[in-house]
Formats: sequence, C-alpha cells, structure tokens
Amino acid sequence: MNAIDIEHVTKTYGPVVAVDDLSFAVPEGSIYGFIGPNGSGKTTTIRMMLHIIEADRGAIRVFGETLRSACTDRIGYVPEERGLYRKMKVREVLEYFGGLKRNGSLRKEVDAWIERLDLADWADKKVETLSKGMSQKVQFIAAVVARPPLLVLDEPFSGLDPVNADVLREAILALRAEGTTILFSTHDMAVAERMCDTILMIFRGRKVLDGTLESIQNRYGTDTVRVRTDGGAAALDGLRGVDRVTDFGQEQELRLDGTRDAQDLVGEMLGRTRVTSFEVMRPSLRDIFLRIAGPAAEEATDA
Amino acid sequence: MRKILKVARRDYLATVRTKGFLVGLVLAPLLMGGSLIVMALFRDRTDPRDRKIAVVDRSGVVADALVRAAAERNARDTVAAAGRSRQAAYLIEVIRPNERDPALQRLLLSDRVRAKELHAFVEVGPHALHPGRDTTERHLAYHSQNAVLDETRGWIAEQANAALRRQRLLEAGIDTSVVPDLFQTIEGAPLGLLSRDPATGRITDALKSDEKAAIFAPMVIMLLMLMMLMFSAMPQLNATMQEKSQRIAEVVLGSVRPFEFMAGKLLGGVAIALTASAVYVGVGLYALTVLGLSGLMPLSIVAWFFVYMLLAVAMYGALFAAVGAACNDPIEAQSMSFVAMLPMILPTFLLLPVVMQPNSAFATGMSLVPLWTPMLMLMRQATPGGVPAWQPWVALVGVVATTLLFIWVGGRVFRVAILMQGTPPKLQNFVRWAIRG
Repeated sequence: MNAIDIEHVTKTYGPVVAVDDLSFAVPEGSIYGFIGPNGSGKTTTIRMMLHIIEADRGAIRVFGETLRSACTDRIGYVPEERGLYRKMKVREVLEYFGGLKRNGSLRKEVDAWIERLDLADWADKKVETLSKGMSQKVQFIAAVVARPPLLVLDEPFSGLDPVNADVLREAILALRAEGTTILFSTHDMAVAERMCDTILMIFRGRKVLDGTLESIQNRYGTDTVRVRTDGGAAALDGLRGVDRVTDFGQEQELRLDGTRDAQDLVGEMLGRTRVTSFEVMRPSLRDIFLRIAGPAAEEATDA
Repeated sequence: MRKILKVARRDYLATVRTKGFLVGLVLAPLLMGGSLIVMALFRDRTDPRDRKIAVVDRSGVVADALVRAAAERNARDTVAAAGRSRQAAYLIEVIRPNERDPALQRLLLSDRVRAKELHAFVEVGPHALHPGRDTTERHLAYHSQNAVLDETRGWIAEQANAALRRQRLLEAGIDTSVVPDLFQTIEGAPLGLLSRDPATGRITDALKSDEKAAIFAPMVIMLLMLMMLMFSAMPQLNATMQEKSQRIAEVVLGSVRPFEFMAGKLLGGVAIALTASAVYVGVGLYALTVLGLSGLMPLSIVAWFFVYMLLAVAMYGALFAAVGAACNDPIEAQSMSFVAMLPMILPTFLLLPVVMQPNSAFATGMSLVPLWTPMLMLMRQATPGGVPAWQPWVALVGVVATTLLFIWVGGRVFRVAILMQGTPPKLQNFVRWAIRG
C-alpha cells in the first residue's frame, strides 16, 4: 500500500497556479525525497497533504483513505521554519504537540526521545533558552512523539551542526527501519542522494522528475566528467565538446555535449596541465536539479 | 472536541500561569474593595477647619443676615454628634464696599484668599433685592480658589436668598413672624415603587432610593464586563499574531483543523474570563456583604453578568482572533487592535446617558444592539428600576445569534489569514476571506 497517493491535484492562488495537475505516490516504509526550487509548490503540496489547505481539484489519499481531518493524526510534520511556543518548557511543548495527535499520556515517549536526542538537561527549560539546533531537535520530537506512521520533514537538517545532523539522521533511519514512511523536502541534494529511496522533483507546480536516483541518473547517461588538475578551472577554458564547467575549487565538473569522447578530452587536458584525477560519471542530483531549474533552464522556459 | 479542549487548556494555562495574571487577579479586587471601604469610611468626612468669608454687601440686606445665619449654624453643627462628624464653622467678616475702586477691593480680597486669611469672599450687588429681568448684572458673586465645587457657595446663596425674600415680604407689608415656617424647606425623598408580597398579599413599603444603587452598581458591573473582555478577548489578537508570525500555527494546523484551533482559543479565553470574574465577583460580593451593601448587587444581575460575559468573550474573541490571524507583525497588530477595540469601548462613552435615563428610547435601542448588549443591557438591568422583563431575553437572542455569526465569519477569515504571510490586514482582504472562506 502507498502511504500517500496524490492524483491530479491542482491548487491556485488567484492567477498563480501553485500546484498544477500533480500526481505521485509515496510507497509505505520508504524515504521519499521531495525536491524543487523555492516557490515550486513543495510547501503548498505538503500543506494539502496535511489538510491545512484544500486542493482545488484532484484527490489525496493517506494510507488508502481519502484525506480528511482525522488522517492528519497519522502524519507527523516538521515545517521548514520552526514553530514552538517560546514561553513553554520543552517537556510541556512536546506533550502538547504529541497530545494533539494521540490520546493518553505521552510522558514515557517524551522522556525517551529527550534522552535519545540528548536534550535531558533542557527538558524543564523554556524553549526560548534553546539554541537553533536544539529547537530543531525539539521540533523533530514534537512531530514523532505520537508515533505517526508517516513523517513529513521540511528541511530537517537546517541549522544543525554535523554531530546533531548525524544524531537526527540516525533517528530518521531508525524510524524508517521501524516502518515509518518519511517524506523529505530538502534543498540539500547530497542528503537527498544519500538518504532517499525515491526522489520527486517539482518545478513551477509540475512534476519534472520521479523515480529512484539510479533511474533518474540513467536518463541523463554518463555525460559528466569530474577532474582534478594542477591548473584548476582556468586550464579547462575553451575545451571542445564541453557544454559547461562547474568549478568547486579543488575539483571541476564538466558536462559533455555528446559530440566528443571522454578519452579524447583527457588527452587534450593532459596537453594543457597535469591531471591528478579523472572520473567519468553520471550527473549528480545537484547537476540534474540545476539543468532543470537553474538560471539557464529558467531562461529557456521563459523564452 | 478533544483537540479543542487541548488547545483551550494550553491557552488557559499559558495565561493563568503568568505573573501578570496573578498580580492583576489579586490587585484588581484589592483596589476595587479598597476603594469601596475608603468611600464608606470617608463618606461623611469633611474639612473641619473654620472658614472665614468676607462679605461686601452693596444691597444692605444680606450681610447681617449672613452673620446671624452663620452664628446659628455654628452653634448647631460645629459639635460632633452621633453619626455625624464636626462641621467647619463659618465666620462672616463684613467689609464696607469701596465704591471708588471696586476692582482694587476685589483684588485685595483675592490676595487674602490666596494668603489663606480668607476661605472666600462674597459680593452682593446693589440691585440684588429687586434684580428685575436684567440677566447681565451679577447680583451675588462668590470668589474662592475652587468656587464651582465649593460647598460653602450653596449655603451662602441659600441664606442670601432667604434674607432677600424676607426683606421683599417686609416691603410688601407682610409680617414674616406670623408665619414662622415660611422659609422652611422640605426634602423630596427619592423612593422606589410599592409592590405586593405574593406570599402574604401585604403591600410592601417603598424603599428609599440610594444614589449608590442608582449609579454605583450599574457602573461597576459594566466596567467589570469591560475588564473581563480586555482580560480574555483582547489578548487573542496578539496571541494569534504571534502564533502566525512564529510559525506555530502551521505546526498546530498539522494536527487540528483551523476552526478547532480558533474554537480552542475562544474556549481558553472563556475559561480565563470565568476564572478572573469568579474571583472578582466573589470578592466583590463578600466586600458588599461586609459593608452591609449586599442589596446593591442582586444575584439575578450576577447571573446575567455571567451569561453575557461568556457570550461576549466568545463574540469579541472571534473578532480579535480573526484580526490577529490577519496581522503579520506586532506593528500591524498594534494598529489593528485600536480599530478592533472600538466597538468594545464605545459603550463607555454612553455610560452616563444610559445610567441617568436607563429606560429612554436611546438607552433601550443601544442596549439591544448585540455588540453592546453585554455592557449596556446589563447596566440598565442593574439600575434600581430595572428593565421590562422581555428586553434581556430578546437581547440575549440577538447576542447568541451575533456570537454564532462572529465565530462563523471569524473562523472563515482565521482559516485563510493564519497561513497568509505578507498580506496586509486590509478591509477588502477581510471581506474577501469572509466571503470566500
């Protein structure tokens, strides 16, 4: 069964079409990446899934049931911008948000999660005393403490240092292992590549990518070359058959235009500078994202 | 309903646990009770210091009469008696009129008042005995530091008029000693209406109307209602704006429907008002009982107070919550709060006309406007004459209907506005949200 089925959903705000005939399915027990540039309709889609706003057209089902208010009790939600009552104590705020989803005492679950995310010393302190990273962890616990079978995370790692990001990542993977379905909205392509089973990308309200990372990358073939050279990006200027050079400082990524073999290319580069590393690869998710939604693509679409 | 109660409980605890609420809860009844006690204690206390009054009598009739009247009064009232404290003695100093420079004489007397040698000075005009129809001439002038509120002015005028009347009768050849009670006045006692005791069939005596019952009780109950609205309904605006701007609303709305969220907030407000009013009304009734003034506030009025208050908190709470949901930051909230407060504070401007003539067409009409019923109808009900029995019930139907309408419309606005970032709270936006939902 799918955790979420979205079929031909459309949402407009006046003349603006925020979500345009969108359809996708989130398999139960998976980690589903939801990517797209700012303003592409991700938050609107998430809000419709949570029944915060209603779709103009189309159907949304959660675990096979047509979306209605009670369905949202089965969805935990971590919004991109943190929303916690600043004057409440950490434990109280967690019991409150958990209590909105589930009846009965949540004290044990709250204590367990506080311990697990290393917040025991802050449990009886007011939210306003927490750092951004700690607030982020509290927001995460507020979403999961009622044990919802579906978790919607909007940029869950923003504001976290690497140590806390690891703690949260482990918690997310543990929840998935226990059967929780996770829908993950992010701008961090590296995180999406590493963690998501399936990736959906929307652009200007429409679906432009949907599938596993491998299937998406296969669509673009091995048209990317990653190199490290002594001359850096300057040494790669004007290479024939190269569509675009992306400079990461220590290494560069070249996108081939399909008119030239990679072996020929490395020969030309060796004539210009010393090549210390050369890898022919499929495009990264970041590169695919930029091809679809980068400035060049925007210009092409607008034209 | 479970979620509504959860939201209500959080809002309630978030307010009642604050120091401001607890301090206000204790301080307000202390101030109210304290002022009642102070009023009762100092009700008959007047300044007992002697008052020297200079009299410049150009009529030749008044000065001597004032001297005699003051002597009689001093002999009678300057001794403390049971139930009455010692009154100030009036010492009359007769001054010969300065006909060459009356302005200079007035200035010198004014300086003596400023120097505290005199309490006041009085000037009686030459035509005071027969003033005729000329209203431009001043026949009796009373000069003091605060002449308008000076109680001595009334006594002087009363004695001066008595002397002038007596002189006019003498001039007409009437011997006033033949009619010793010629100038005796009788009081117009303010009395209520008689009624028949339904149990015994006996006619009960009319009770003497009390100034406190006529003015104090209606004003206090109306101000208490206003205080409760400011305590529990008005804070909805800022609280909702904060929940929106701090993105809390988005998290809450992931679990509860917008209407449940707003309903929970209104219920929380009602609970806050009930808590505060229970304390205030309880302490107030106790204070009245201790002071022997329990008749000032009939229990039926207290019951109506709670009925109106519950509805008014929900009605105005829905208004403030909807406006708060439309605000994006504290500056917008501040400017909108003044606009939203207007219908709530308008009855305070009508306080005096309504309490002076509670059954006028104006007072009746205004009190039947549902927005103002909780304050104005309640105030009219608390006046000694009360209101016709049908009026509170008709008004109640209006308030219930308006409350439901406000909650419904407020809910529609709240639902859209709470997630709308950056859209200013303009009238056309409110109308659009209310119509389209």
